[in-house]
Amino acid sequence: MSDQDNETTVPERAACREFERGLASYLEGGAEPSVLAHAKQCPYCAVILADLEQIRFVSHHLPQEEPPARLWANIRAHLEAEGIIREPVPAWRRWLPRPAFFPSSAPLGALAALALFAATLLVPGRSMENRSRLNAGTAGGGMVAASVAPIGPDENLTRTLSEMEEAYRSRESSLEPTIKAAYQRSLASLDACIHECSRHCEMEPGNTLARQYLVRAYQTKAEVLASALEYGGR
Amino acid sequence: MSADRTPANKAVSETQLIARAQQGDEAAFEALFNTHKRRVYSLCLRMTGDTAEAEDLAQEAFLQLFRKISTFRGESAFTTWLHRLVVNVVLMHLRKKGLQQVSLDEPDGSREEPVKRDYGEDDHRLLGSVARIRLARAIESLPHGYRSVFILHDVEGYEHNEIAQIMNCSIGNSKSQLHKARLKLRELLREEAKNLAPEESELSGLDPER
Ligand SMILES: [Zn+2]
Repeated sequence: MSDQDNETTVPERAACREFERGLASYLEGGAEPSVLAHAKQCPYCAVILADLEQIRFVSHHLPQEEPPARLWANIRAHLEAEGIIREPVPAWRRWLPRPAFFPSSAPLGALAALALFAATLLVPGRSMENRSRLNAGTAGGGMVAASVAPIGPDENLTRTLSEMEEAYRSRESSLEPTIKAAYQRSLASLDACIHECSRHCEMEPGNTLARQYLVRAYQTKAEVLASALEYGGR
Repeated sequence: MSADRTPANKAVSETQLIARAQQGDEAAFEALFNTHKRRVYSLCLRMTGDTAEAEDLAQEAFLQLFRKISTFRGESAFTTWLHRLVVNVVLMHLRKKGLQQVSLDEPDGSREEPVKRDYGEDDHRLLGSVARIRLARAIESLPHGYRSVFILHDVEGYEHNEIAQIMNCSIGNSKSQLHKARLKLRELLREEAKNLAPEESELSGLDPER
């Protein structure tokens, strides 16, 4: 510092200069008894010591900043392009805002029914694809209509799902607002996914990917509902 | 949800996540990212003082981490490994930008910076309650030379010998840079407080939960 700064750096008090010389070491835990002793007598140096101790303390407890949401999307895109992601999360699961958010719960009996339903949907789906490759889908026409329209052959499943949904609606008012909002977002996303996949299945009966996504959307919806019911029932 | 937050469970689940990430499991990568994103991004932001640079650097650090994760064998703590990597990414970036971190030509502790002080009437404890937001802002406006050592030591909790190794300087140099940074911060905060209206300078007390 230059001499022009004299009005703020007054080096005239020998005891204060001594304090300053020991200050850094004292703050780092060094044995500098004269620093504390002087601070007790000199209000000016006491202020400096208190300020620096506070800066040191508060710095250890600074709030952390949230990065923008696109950061993960960008990293993910790189990982995928570089082949580092070898087991991607299925696209249908990305419809869920935060799968890990939901309390994991035993999916109850409804899920067993859903697993069966999934099998009934998937198996004809695969055989249909083979058939359509062989003879342009003419032989399977009747079966396609039966297995796809309106959304699937298993009335038990659609009934179970709508019962679960009804039970959820009757309880959702008792859920915490943030939790309720998360469930609502997920269910809305899943319904959109189901709608979209159903449409693709109707337009292209041989589209096994759409069919798989549809099944998984149903499964996920049942899981979300089961989790919500269990959560709300506690 | 709270059951997962105990340290033992956290360590176990992180080990499992690392193992799954080593298999290329996207969900594991995402979970690791979510666990560490705030601390990594905050470190980048404080070191650069710029949100766009911080985002780029956080991305680069996570990509380097995930590219190397198959070589992670668990000898050191994962968090330590990650944060060392982040610090290296940031320092490399600052060096490329030509921002000198520590004035290496200065002999250790040869010249103590006089403490700026007012023996005047208004030398009361202006920093009686330093709000954390104000301090975070002041750190971002520290000159680059002091900033890195200060952040590594006072914010991130590194020891001087580690900083000396990371920054390629002497331990004495790290100590003197830290002291100068604290004094500079004090000056910045005091100047800011002087410019505030009196009622505004009576800031709310430090709330550790905030
Ligand atoms: Zn004094």
